[in-house]
Amino acid sequence: MELLNDIGVVFSSLAGGFATALHPINMAMLFVAVVLGLIIGVLPGLGGTSGVAILLPVTVFIAHGSLPGSDATTAIIFLAGIYWGALFGGVITSILFNIPGEPWAVVLLFDGFPLAKRLGRPGLALASSFVSSFVGAFIATVLFTFFALPIALRALQFGPAELFAVFVLSFATLIGLGAEAPIKSVAMLALGLLLAAVGFDTITGEQRLNFGQISLLSGIGFVPVTIGLFGIGEILASAEEQGIGYVENLSARLGLRDVVQALGELRKRLRLVLSNSIIGFLFGVLPGHGATAASFLGYGLARQYSKNKENFGKGEISGIMGPQAAADAAGVASMVPMITLGIPGSPTSAVIMAGLFIWGLQPGPVLFLEHQDFVWGLIASIYLGHLLTFILCLLAVPLLAMIMRVPYAIITPFIVVISIIGSYSLNNSMLDVFITVLFGVIGYWLRKLKYPLAPLVVALVLGDSTERELRKALISGGGSPLFFFSSWLSTATLLLALVLVLIPLVRTLLARRHGATVAAAAGHAAR
Amino acid sequence: MRPYQVGTAAAIIAIAAVAMFDSRAAFSPSIGTAPGDVGSRWYPFWAAAIMGVAALVVAYRAFLTPQTSEGVFQGRESIFAVLKLVLPMLAYATLIGGIRWQSGEITYTVIPPLGFYVATALYMGGFGWWIGRYKVWWVALITIAFPLVIYAAFELGFRVSLPKSFLYDSGILPF
Repeated sequence: MELLNDIGVVFSSLAGGFATALHPINMAMLFVAVVLGLIIGVLPGLGGTSGVAILLPVTVFIAHGSLPGSDATTAIIFLAGIYWGALFGGVITSILFNIPGEPWAVVLLFDGFPLAKRLGRPGLALASSFVSSFVGAFIATVLFTFFALPIALRALQFGPAELFAVFVLSFATLIGLGAEAPIKSVAMLALGLLLAAVGFDTITGEQRLNFGQISLLSGIGFVPVTIGLFGIGEILASAEEQGIGYVENLSARLGLRDVVQALGELRKRLRLVLSNSIIGFLFGVLPGHGATAASFLGYGLARQYSKNKENFGKGEISGIMGPQAAADAAGVASMVPMITLGIPGSPTSAVIMAGLFIWGLQPGPVLFLEHQDFVWGLIASIYLGHLLTFILCLLAVPLLAMIMRVPYAIITPFIVVISIIGSYSLNNSMLDVFITVLFGVIGYWLRKLKYPLAPLVVALVLGDSTERELRKALISGGGSPLFFFSSWLSTATLLLALVLVLIPLVRTLLARRHGATVAAAAGHAAR
Repeated sequence: MRPYQVGTAAAIIAIAAVAMFDSRAAFSPSIGTAPGDVGSRWYPFWAAAIMGVAALVVAYRAFLTPQTSEGVFQGRESIFAVLKLVLPMLAYATLIGGIRWQSGEITYTVIPPLGFYVATALYMGGFGWWIGRYKVWWVALITIAFPLVIYAAFELGFRVSLPKSFLYDSGILPF
């Protein structure tokens, strides 16, 4: 009975959310955002994270009502819409030009491009990608709709010890399940926490790490750092590749026949797409992973359980649908911890979370109580945003593909220019511009040396909250660290965090043992 | 690869050392803290310490594990491609605010502030001329059109005020 009641609450809240999202200004901004997101997704030098970060200052004006009828809900619908557009748009260039527009579209090079080029079916490759993206995103949004409220209501009972434990768990996930060397994740995580500590201490008001510079008292801005790391960093990386690779260029027509055939192919792979969507959702909820890691996981699963393993890499449709469903589901899922707990699930949702702070909102469970219109308007806009993106993708692929023909000598400095506008206009600060340029170079260099950037960004946005909850817990416990183990929830969360951190260590030890066994067996054989 | 990994780790260790030195008061009582609080320096001190130790492990591992023989760049052209982007970008960011400094009551101006729009015109036009090798009229079109479009979109549309040039101060240009 209680369950039915809860479902009834969710449906009525969602109906209210649709009423908010369907407001003309919100729909207009959603449309603009999705188009911008598709363009950002197509451009190889500009990613979803940097695109959202660059346009963050614009949302300040939207949130404060610069447009007639706009408010913070319009602003979040706008920012999230860019992300949805970029999630879809990134694959277009992978399939047609063999150049991934976004990191989560890299996996589409394996089968998307061969299906387009070798088998001569670019329309089918694109349609398969869009259809599976839509299904993945839709399933993830349904899960978001029904799970967000219970998580948020549970999180409302969290005290400082539980909140600190959840932050530690999110950091442990970045270390334990990251793709790069765990020790490098630790270094980046600590760097993010350190950068977040620059300026005034929020509890005592003391100055720290500002080295006497007044300009550093307000701290190092999250937005200029993120625009630098992801915006400038990405164009420096793509500048290096200019002239090195041969750029393919296939016809971008997408007909009704392709869509019908893609739907037929989807029916044959419904189990794969549904399971990958759910797995992508679960993976995306984990902090710091987002769509990219999920896309590779989705590809691996599609290949693992396929009867046609030998077709993978040659244009197998499961190699397109599997990763796409997982990537889009993870993209949507990365918003769940951000909205319900105040913990970003991906670098892009970290930027969106920074937006919430800037508009004067506190991400986390209180949002569900105090700003229901905002939360449910966002959830409803995810359904509408994906539907809009899907339709636009089917209609406008040739137009989007034309963006790739804009010459490098125009598009590259243009991205630099809008990155600089983005970093300057939030605080009208030239220091922020130089921080962006500096972190652009740093981000490019760290990426080259395989340092992961997600831990740095997540720690930078969570650094203040982590320190606040840590110190509040210590004050509550009279300085005793045992206070963190005073509730079963914080104890279990911290233990889980410990297990996650130990995973890479155990994996290394097992690999060494396996290596030693193999070497011993080889030695026996040789004797 | 090894020297780059070790050099980067050394830079991270140096940053950690500076931050730890700045937070050396981590173990003495902080101003205005509540009973049980660790104070304002404790958290940055340990964040820096963890970062330093992690970088030390990275450097140690770089020595131990066999590294690929090639460097981090794919060739000389790729270094130049990056530098061709980084140097104009630095010049562009500098030109927006100009180069000047104050000594006592006198301000020395090497380059007056060109503001966002004039600097953007020079940057985009210059890039098109140098990297794109476009004809003069194309360069002129890029130089004029982009700042105007950005002015219309941001200054008039979104009402985002961007830095103005010294020509704006003297009333010659609207930006």
